[in-house]
Amino acid sequence: MKISLEWLKEYVELPTDAGELVDVLPMLGLEVEESEGETPESLDKVVVGEVLNKEPHPEADRLSVCQVNVGTDEPANIVCGATNFQVGDRVPVALPGAKLPGGFKIKKSKLRGVPSEGMMCSAKELKLGDDDAGLMILSDSPVIGTPIEDTISADQVLELEITANRGDCLSHLGVAREISARYQKELKVPSLEAAADAVEQADENCLVNDIQLEDEACPYYTLWTIRGVKIGPSPDWIQKRLLAVGLRPINNVVDVTNYVLLETGQPLHAFDAKKIKGSSIIVRRARENESITTLDEVERKLQNDMLVIADAERPLVVAGVMGSIDAEVDDSTTELVLESAWFRPGSVRSTARRLGLHSDSSQRFSRDVDPAGVIYAARRAIDLILNTAGGELAPSYVSSGSPPRGERTISIEHTFVEKTCGFSVSGEDLSDAWKRLGFSVSGNGPWDVTVPSFRSEVERPIDLVEEYLRLRGTDDLTDSRIVFPALERENDLSYDFSQDAVDHLLGQGYQECCHYSLRSAGEVESWFTHLSTDELALANPLTADHTHVRPSLLPGLVDALAHNQKNLNDLTRVCETGRVFRPGPRGNVEWISVAFAAFARSNERGWKEEPALDFFALKNQVNSLLRSTGLSLPKGLWATISEDASWQDGYSARLGDAHKNKLEINLGIIRLSLSKAKEAKGPVFAAELLIDPVLLSKRKKPAGFVPFSTFPPAIKDLALVVDSKEPAETVRIRVEEIAQGVGKEKFAVDPVAIFDLFEGKGLPEGKKSLALTLRFRAPDRTLGEKELNQAFEEVIAGIRSETSYELRS
Amino acid sequence: MENDLQAIVSQAEASQANISNRSDWDQAKALILGPKGSLTQASKLIGKLPREEKPAFGQALNQAKKQVEALFATSLSRIEEQADLIALGNPYDPTLPAVPNRSASLHPLSATRRKVVAIFRKLGFTVTEATEAETEWFCFDALNTPEDHPARDEQDTLFFSPESKWANVSKKAKEAHLLRTHTSSVQIRTMLREKPPLRVIAPGRCFRRDTVDATHSANFHQLEGLCVDRGVTLLDLKGVLDHFLKEMFGTKVQTRLRPSFFPFTEPSFEVDLKAPNLGKLSDKWIEIMGCGLVDPEVLKLVNLDPEEWSGFAFGVGIERITMILHGIDDIRHFYQNDQRFLSQFSGSV
Repeated sequence: MKISLEWLKEYVELPTDAGELVDVLPMLGLEVEESEGETPESLDKVVVGEVLNKEPHPEADRLSVCQVNVGTDEPANIVCGATNFQVGDRVPVALPGAKLPGGFKIKKSKLRGVPSEGMMCSAKELKLGDDDAGLMILSDSPVIGTPIEDTISADQVLELEITANRGDCLSHLGVAREISARYQKELKVPSLEAAADAVEQADENCLVNDIQLEDEACPYYTLWTIRGVKIGPSPDWIQKRLLAVGLRPINNVVDVTNYVLLETGQPLHAFDAKKIKGSSIIVRRARENESITTLDEVERKLQNDMLVIADAERPLVVAGVMGSIDAEVDDSTTELVLESAWFRPGSVRSTARRLGLHSDSSQRFSRDVDPAGVIYAARRAIDLILNTAGGELAPSYVSSGSPPRGERTISIEHTFVEKTCGFSVSGEDLSDAWKRLGFSVSGNGPWDVTVPSFRSEVERPIDLVEEYLRLRGTDDLTDSRIVFPALERENDLSYDFSQDAVDHLLGQGYQECCHYSLRSAGEVESWFTHLSTDELALANPLTADHTHVRPSLLPGLVDALAHNQKNLNDLTRVCETGRVFRPGPRGNVEWISVAFAAFARSNERGWKEEPALDFFALKNQVNSLLRSTGLSLPKGLWATISEDASWQDGYSARLGDAHKNKLEINLGIIRLSLSKAKEAKGPVFAAELLIDPVLLSKRKKPAGFVPFSTFPPAIKDLALVVDSKEPAETVRIRVEEIAQGVGKEKFAVDPVAIFDLFEGKGLPEGKKSLALTLRFRAPDRTLGEKELNQAFEEVIAGIRSETSYELRS
Repeated sequence: MENDLQAIVSQAEASQANISNRSDWDQAKALILGPKGSLTQASKLIGKLPREEKPAFGQALNQAKKQVEALFATSLSRIEEQADLIALGNPYDPTLPAVPNRSASLHPLSATRRKVVAIFRKLGFTVTEATEAETEWFCFDALNTPEDHPARDEQDTLFFSPESKWANVSKKAKEAHLLRTHTSSVQIRTMLREKPPLRVIAPGRCFRRDTVDATHSANFHQLEGLCVDRGVTLLDLKGVLDHFLKEMFGTKVQTRLRPSFFPFTEPSFEVDLKAPNLGKLSDKWIEIMGCGLVDPEVLKLVNLDPEEWSGFAFGVGIERITMILHGIDDIRHFYQNDQRFLSQFSGSV
């Protein structure tokens, strides 16, 4: 909200250097957005001059030749085209050497043969206003010869940002009240003159016959009658103030309602009484299919829970938001009715929002105006209307309903304040602060503090502490000692896990990245055709590229790889941790994910060949990631992924199911068509962990120590011919189980390892050979040859009898 | 006879120079120490010697054998060392680049987050987490935000459809699911799950319905702090934040609390800081975070008695701190993941 300091001065004495308000107001909670200086461009060499003499130009009818006292010994001779001034007027004079806003340079010159030593200026020429109709006549006789900046730059406009709780500060009086409290200066509230008596039903004095309040969203409504106004422009001082804060003057009545809104914070609405049909006013909800053309000349469809002010036939005002052109005050208006009312903040806010129509009025009603100010604002406006537009106030006004809230009294104890602040506070300082804010205080600790209705948000003792602190300030609370008892709590495991995972991947050369969680429908639908992605759609996305929450970190990582590849950056390994979202059997789930992706080789040519990344190297990285973060591999076999749009069939694998086992690992090559669509050149190797946060909710118990044999192992190798399609791991596990069965209670068997794979020449079609190594260890001795051979024979016998594997000789 | 032995040793010595690999060595050694070698042959002569000469010859023979064996041991280790060196290949040019020549670093937002978390951990704050998908109650109602508060508008907050079901984001009643607009919702979930005294921080991702530009991002990161205990005061809050900002921005930082408004704290403040080392932002008051004492209404909503418990809370933007610290002027850099951006900040927080 814009605040004019010149205007503000009317209600409270400002500090000598008004500029200090820019620093003081924020510390009261009124943020100053920017300060609009009145003279942004230098007006050097523009001074106050007095017209001493004015004669017609001998050669030109439209020009005059003037002698102007500009504070020098000799008056300046100036040729002028304006006509709105007289001898004795003081005006701004641009002397030779001055540069006007816009760049026009003033020089000594001759106009139609008459020398001119400067230029008398209009407000517009100096960018001090919009008036270009004639010279800017300076009032209050400023001293001749003073720089113009010193005389007219007095007004400064501040753009304040008012927090949601301080609706009372959306007015000059409200801000003045804060300044008066801060500087302990008297608040000067304009006094009222015209008065009328409240009547509950319209009587013969009123221009409307009837007012009906049909809805609780308007608990209090007053309507005042003024007859015989004469519409015309409002006086300069009103126009100047409105312009200063960015409002366009319209006519004396409309300007007064705007002026009073900006002065008191109470929005008002003036109707042309002749335009009210049926001479009744009804405050009601809009009807089905009703529409209104608001003053901004936009026809708006109303919804049936929007509050309107209507006459017998149609809505005239969207209550608290904006009037219609139908009952607008215009040049021919003579009979006025003036509305001053209180509407529920939520109702106005919701209506304004849905109509996309935020006005000065709706902004204030939305923030809860002061019900006690309804009458004051109406009478203040009436005084100004009678002064500027003439007319006569009817002796009675209709007052329907009652103010919904008034002042309230809060009891507060001294100890409560000190307990909250943590430092000692004198009782005197407390009650003094509250009194300065306009609260009345009784008692001497505990106190009863009565808060006027204009401060709707001050309701509890803690609110009074805040008010005290606002005035007291907190700048002296520095370097306080922090003393905290130790707490047993540890970081949530999920946090430490993600951090450890990134540390590990960094060590593997994966750069950490950060991508948007919101993705486009196009991406989500092409990468996750196997999921019901509709479940992940936002109800109110803002843009087409941010419509869904991400089911995986992988598309982002492929973006990063492609982006860097395209820019010839040597970044070919990227990782990310974050939350991902998946539809599930019992609704959507939010999982923790760790993902990494890489091209097989660096983007740069190197002086030395490096081994290309492949599936099995990636598998190693996944295994070591799990080990270093303390997770165990899900049970079961790695299975080739099929029917998953993200992964290339046959070149990628999955272990676990996060819906069932709380942990799922996907690994392999991103579907080539998808990485290609993101303009990544070359296959993208990637892996992702999907983790149900439940998995990371409990810390594991310390592992128990298992003793191991100190004797050397005995080693036996064997080769098996199996079906090509038989997973190697199945074979390995079968052999391991058989070996463990043989060793049972006699000796231990180390994990069986695959050390060779052979397919092709010498083997039947559809077969492959796997070579396995077995290592036996006894806990108490070195195994003897005989014992070993016997055990190996038993293993072979077991393989022969229990499996279809053939021993390769 | 002993002269013969001397000759054999000399022969052995002479042969060393010609040994340049294992087979040379084997051959040379066999010539002397092999079954038909000169020394072996010579040793057989002992049987033919008179008894009284045997001890002296035996001694001389042993002496010669030791000398010869030492010679071959030395030459063996010499050629093995040579072979090892050959296996190593050419000596290195240490100025050639590393292979692979790859460097990875933390994302600058992570680096900042870790630093902030580390500072608060020293004060006994530990990390608490909750989901990014939230519900209206946890994000707004429980934080004392009235139903018609502007922040709850569909214009500012991203909602899921009212029919959407969530398996691991619990609801209070029938309220809608949304993407959390601040990490303050984590306060609520933590206070409902754990009993005070509590000192927690909640770093995490938040969402606003904002058009992406240099200063706005559809998602961003905050770090929320909460302390609930008996007798927590404004002075405690100021002390903790002063400490944090000094650790983060240097001991020359000045701070101030500027009155403000948040529905979930009372009194509420914006924290401004002024520091001499912030580039363009040096020596100016800049807004850095929001804070306040936990509103008694919020404590009531999580079933804590405000007569017994009090607390403070604060929230700080990770992007904002990072941008101020490093003089980054466009928030979009964080999400573009260009290596030329990411590589600038490793080790610098």
